[in-house]
Amino acid sequence: MQPAAVYTRDRCVTGIHGLDEILRGGIPYGSTVLASGTCGSGKTTLAMEFLVRGALAGEACAHFTATEPSVKLLENIRQFEFFDMNMVDTGLINVFDMDVLYSWLGLEKSSFDLDDVHALIKAIVDIVNTIGVTRLVIDSVTTLCYKIKSEQLIRDFLFTLGKKLSTLGCTTILISEITSATENAHWSSFGVEEAIADGIIVMGDVERMGHLLRFLQVVKMRGTSHSRAKHAIELTPIGVMLTPMLKWGAQGDKQSKWGA
Amino acid sequence: MFELDQRIAEQLTEVALNSSVQVRCGNSNAFMVTASTMVPLMQMFEMGGVYISGSRSAMEMIEAFETIGIDVSNIQFVDLVSSGVLGGTDSTRKNIHFVDSPIMLESILLRALYLLRTTTLERNFVILDSVNALAIYNDDRMLAEYLHTFINTFRQREVLSVILNVPDQTPPLVLSNLDLYCTDLIDRGQVVIH
Repeated sequence: MQPAAVYTRDRCVTGIHGLDEILRGGIPYGSTVLASGTCGSGKTTLAMEFLVRGALAGEACAHFTATEPSVKLLENIRQFEFFDMNMVDTGLINVFDMDVLYSWLGLEKSSFDLDDVHALIKAIVDIVNTIGVTRLVIDSVTTLCYKIKSEQLIRDFLFTLGKKLSTLGCTTILISEITSATENAHWSSFGVEEAIADGIIVMGDVERMGHLLRFLQVVKMRGTSHSRAKHAIELTPIGVMLTPMLKWGAQGDKQSKWGA
Repeated sequence: MFELDQRIAEQLTEVALNSSVQVRCGNSNAFMVTASTMVPLMQMFEMGGVYISGSRSAMEMIEAFETIGIDVSNIQFVDLVSSGVLGGTDSTRKNIHFVDSPIMLESILLRALYLLRTTTLERNFVILDSVNALAIYNDDRMLAEYLHTFINTFRQREVLSVILNVPDQTPPLVLSNLDLYCTDLIDRGQVVIH
């Protein structure tokens, strides 16, 4: 008797070696993944490697930055030995300042209403469509959502954006900043992002006798089986490196911020 | 004149690349045993690799090797000691890499893996100096788990792991686990009475 065929979704191979193993091959194509973490946990580095690895494979990639100027961001990517400035010159890596985008759209205001949100979605989707972007990073969705005052509107924004990008075959990483103030509540700043996202990757620190060890944990990823264990990470010139965190050391010497 | 223990070189001819060798030494012969292990790996078997320096600072180890005429400039050193001493990390040697503390066990493993990925040599070793140094800082169970991960990680990648150990300074749980995980034993240690 032949075994039943098992359906597997095509993957966006991140190129981040350990992460693809954790995800049993990569992120399912077209997913919207929330990368949540505290400051200094490596979210932006992870996202940038995701883009550079995509560019190395010939994919068009885009990064919308709201947390630091694009020039500074590009300087930081130079730390990767596998990064080549030609990727930017040839249009494989495209970095957009959110401030410039807001300015184009006439959205230089402290809060967005429904029309503003729709204009923003349209602008992002148009850019993705025009360039043929298959990997997108928004850094950070938290900064962006601070301008959207209603939870319902944040939900609509993320849901509509995710749906449209998925239709275009674009795999998206939304970076979410978590502070200790949210430690008992969610894996996202507003509590709605995590419900909308197809996947959640949590990044943070485990404190062990006064030393901070960075960790990464895939909490959720629709469309694939995956490890849900904590993994220790190091940020190196050849990219993010992962290894399973020691079980006897994963807790640290105080309660983790994630309630693990 | 400094004399190497030739019997260690003979024993090393029988180990495979995916082996993990426990090298037991005593307090008084630790450096002689270490050098007697490292020299044949570098010179007879033309291997490169990573030396994890947890007992003494990397600089001190390099100088000790140089004193007896051994060039270790092609070996990458992961120093677990110097970050704990202010001013200890100001070395300009490019083959010394610092980890904040022997407590950051996963970081040590990842740093060694990183260095091995950047090497051009096909045959490599990783020397962990030493289990008893790590035992000063780490819980027995965690250290036993770590050694299990450490050995299997390098075995899977066909990197020879050499674990230096002063047995009478190593917790019994860790010692018995080490006996279980390692494929080979080079015993130049002292009598163990627990």
